[in-house]
Amino acid sequence: MEKMKLKLLYSDLKPELELIEKELEQAVDSESLLLNDASLHLLQAGGKRIRPVFVLLAGKFGDYDIELLKRVAVPLELIHMASLVHDDVIDDSEIRRGRPTVKSEWNNSVAMYTGDFILARALERITEIESPRIHDILSKTLIEVCRGEIIQIEDKYRLDQSLRDYLRRIKRKTALLISSSCELGALVAGTDEKTAAHLRRFGYFIGMSFQIIDDILDFTASDQELGKPAGSDFIQGNITLPILYARRNPQIYQMLRDNLNQDISDEKRLEIVRTIRTSSAVDEAKRVSERYLEKALKELDYLPKGPATKTMRKIAFFIGKRKF
Amino acid sequence: MNGQQIQSKIISMEIDVLKAVRQRTLDQLTEGPFVKEARLFFLLLPFFNGEQWSDKMETSARTVAIVYAALHAHDRVKEEMPISKEQQLTVLAGDFYSGIYYQLLAEGKNIEMVQKLATAIIQVSEKKASFHELALQQPEQVEETATVIETALLNAFYVENGFGHYKQLMEQSLLYIRYTEELEALKKGEFSYLLKLLSGSLIHSTFIERWLVDRLEALGNEILESINDCELDFELKNILLHQIIPHRHSAEPLTREG
Repeated sequence: MEKMKLKLLYSDLKPELELIEKELEQAVDSESLLLNDASLHLLQAGGKRIRPVFVLLAGKFGDYDIELLKRVAVPLELIHMASLVHDDVIDDSEIRRGRPTVKSEWNNSVAMYTGDFILARALERITEIESPRIHDILSKTLIEVCRGEIIQIEDKYRLDQSLRDYLRRIKRKTALLISSSCELGALVAGTDEKTAAHLRRFGYFIGMSFQIIDDILDFTASDQELGKPAGSDFIQGNITLPILYARRNPQIYQMLRDNLNQDISDEKRLEIVRTIRTSSAVDEAKRVSERYLEKALKELDYLPKGPATKTMRKIAFFIGKRKF
Repeated sequence: MNGQQIQSKIISMEIDVLKAVRQRTLDQLTEGPFVKEARLFFLLLPFFNGEQWSDKMETSARTVAIVYAALHAHDRVKEEMPISKEQQLTVLAGDFYSGIYYQLLAEGKNIEMVQKLATAIIQVSEKKASFHELALQQPEQVEETATVIETALLNAFYVENGFGHYKQLMEQSLLYIRYTEELEALKKGEFSYLLKLLSGSLIHSTFIERWLVDRLEALGNEILESINDCELDFELKNILLHQIIPHRHSAEPLTREG
C-alpha cells in the first residue's frame, strides 16, 4: 500500500520506470538458470526503485534523455540489489520484502555468486558511459558503501556507540548511493555544476532521512508490514537511532544490555519492540529525520521551479511520513 | 630475467595488491587478499618474456589480481548459520576488493578493461553457479567449467593487451594445476564442487581418478608443446616447469636450447 502511494507520486515517470524495469530484467538474464532464477527472485520482490527515480528526476534539470539516463539508473539499482543479496548472508536473513532471501531459498554460495553476477552486470552496463567523472563518482561510492558495511559490523552490539558513529554509518550505508543517484542523473543530463551539487546534497539529506525512518519503522511497523520480524535490527546487533535515544533511560538500557546478542524468544523480541515504540525515542529519532528532511527541502529551493522539483518535494514529504 | 627476479616481481605484485586493498578491519579480521602464485605468474608472463609492458598494463594486471582475490574471498564463505564475524567480513572483503578494482581502472580511465573484467566475472559466476545446479555435466563440460573459472579473468587481460599468444599455455597450465589439486583432494577423500560435478557422469571415485590422471598426462604434453610455441627463454621455462607447475616433468632434461 505504501509502495503504491509512493509510486503514485512519480506516476509521471511510469513509462520510463517500466522501461527501466525491463532493462533490469534483461540485465540479470543469465546463461545460468540458477543465477537467472535467483536474480529474478530478487527483482520480482519489487522495491521502491528509489535510485532510478532520483536519477530520472535529477535528469529533468538538464537535457532529459531516457536512453542516456537509463545507463546510469539501471546500474545503480543493480548495485543496490547486489548489496542486498550479500547483506542477507551477513545478517543471516531469512526474509526480505516478505519473500525468502536468496541465501535461504538456495544457500550462501549461491547468494555470493548472485551478488557478484549482478554487480558485474552493473559494471558491464555502466561502461557504456565514457565520462571518467561518472566512473570516478560511482567507484568511490561503491567503496564507501562497502566501508559503511564494514563499520556496521565493527559497531554491531556496541550499545555505547555515539550518535556520530550511527550517522557516519548510515551516510555510507544508504545516503551516499541516493546522493550519487541524484548527482549522476544530473551529470548525465548535462546540468551545470551548481545544480548537480544541490541535487547531490538533496540526495544525501533525503538518504539520511530515509534510513532514519527505516530504522524507526523497524520498531513501529508490524512484522507483516515490514516483510520481516520487527526489531530485526536489534536482533542482528545493529544499534540504530531509536535505540541510541531509548538507552538513556537506565531501565531500558539494562533491558537492552541483557538481551543484546542473546538468543531471545519471540515474546522477548516483541517486548523490546513495544518498549522502544512506547518510549520517547521514536519521536526524538523522527525529529532528527525531519531535520534532514528540512535540509533536503532547502536544497530544492535553489533549483528551478517545475514538475521535477515538485515531485522531489512530494517524495521528500512522503519519505518523512511513510508508515512502512 | 633470472629466477630470482621473477620471484621478486611476483612478490612485489602481491605487495601491490595488499597495499591497494588495505583496510584496517579487513586486514585484522580476515585472511586478507589471496591470489594463487601461478595466476600471478601468468599475469606477469608477458612482462617476464620481454613484451612491452606499460604502467597501464601493470595497473591492469594488478586489478586482475584484485578481482581474483575478490572472488576467492567469496569462495571462502561457508554455509554455517549464523555466519561468524570473520565470515561476515569476508563477504564484505570480496565486495570491497571489487570496488577497488573498479576505482583503480576508473582512475586510469581504462573503462574498456572494467567492461572486460566485468564480463569475465559474469562468466566465472555462471560457471560456479553450475556447481549448485542439478543438470548433469559431461567431463568435457566440467573441463570447460574449470577452464573458465581458472582463466576467464586472465584471458580478459590478455585480450585487452594483445597477449593472446600466451592464452593456450596459460589455460593448459592453470587447468593442470587445478586438476593436480583436485586429484590430491580426491585421494584425501575430500569432495570439492568440481569433483562432485565429475561424479555426476563418472560415478565412482576410481573413474574420476583415472580421468584426472589421463587429463594430466595429456595436458602435460600439451604444455611442453605450448612452451615451445611461446618461445620462452630458458629461465622462464625452467621456472614454469619446476616451480609453477607441480611437476611430473621435473626429471625431463632441459637444455639451454630448450
